[in-house]
Amino acid sequence: MWLGRLILGPIFIYAGYSKALLPNSHFWPWFFFKFSLSMNIANFALQVDAFKLLPPWGVQFVAHTLPFTEIVLGFLVLVGWQLRIFGTMLAAIMVGFSVVVTRAYLLHMNINCGCFATPQPINMEKVLEDAGMAILAVLMAAFAIIEARKPHPWSAPSASGAVAATAPATK
Amino acid sequence: MEVFSDFQCPACKSLYDATNRQLMDNYVNTGKVYLIHRDFPLPMHSHSREAAQYSRAAAQVGKLEAVEDVLFQNQEKWEASGDVDGTVAKVLTPTEMTKVRALVKSGAVDASIAKDQALGNNTYRVNQTPTTVFHANGQTFPYAGVMSWDILKQFLDQLLGGK
Repeated sequence: MWLGRLILGPIFIYAGYSKALLPNSHFWPWFFFKFSLSMNIANFALQVDAFKLLPPWGVQFVAHTLPFTEIVLGFLVLVGWQLRIFGTMLAAIMVGFSVVVTRAYLLHMNINCGCFATPQPINMEKVLEDAGMAILAVLMAAFAIIEARKPHPWSAPSASGAVAATAPATK
Repeated sequence: MEVFSDFQCPACKSLYDATNRQLMDNYVNTGKVYLIHRDFPLPMHSHSREAAQYSRAAAQVGKLEAVEDVLFQNQEKWEASGDVDGTVAKVLTPTEMTKVRALVKSGAVDASIAKDQALGNNTYRVNQTPTTVFHANGQTFPYAGVMSWDILKQFLDQLLGGK
């Protein structure tokens, strides 16, 4: 679980950051920042479209939301807050990435992965990399869910053997 | 604006289709923007250097725009077939085509393509196409990727001091 948080959290944060703010990163004045952000999102939309999976509105939706979703999810997973919820969401996204990249590889699509700002071809290495991260994400989410169902370690066991929080005994 | 472009690059075609014509009509032809096309054929595109050679040669017979247009509009066809010559021949007269072929064959246009590539590699660190370098108010701003017309128009208006 820790391994998943420490590996996947920063990767997702960087992935979102690079999609939204790279390679064009002129941040001042304000209209330069807007232009940079628009161009980076537009570039990412082209990469999403290249997978030939989504209709135009779907491509735009993903391009405009995924980078920021990745940043937020990456941060939440890294800090470990509500891990069973956000870890599960991250795992679902990661499994989705893995499936999409594998499909593109099997269809011999000569396209850019679109994972980060730097162009990455879709090859067996990428497929295995994404599959590995998907497995890690699923394990992280699974352990988080199991952990969440366990009683809090500070709770004392009750007489029946069930565990419940107990109030201090009064004399 | 200097636009580093590769004729075999799909994103460059998108930029050309979505933005170039309106940019030419509204900003270049009205004298607000000076646009320079720079050839930057990428190594992974097997026919882009040849396409760049033909477009440079066509520029010398005054037919750059027509050749640029036919190359981008038929990108998928000549990318698959490798027939850049046949594609360009559609928009040139036989006399023009003879001159263009001679220029390409002699290597006369190679130096200017090499110069553009050196400029992109060494000065602007271009690593993808299209990359547009804006020069304004004494400053230089390289931007990589496709720009929609609406976004570019807003940016140019603000850069030029418009509303």
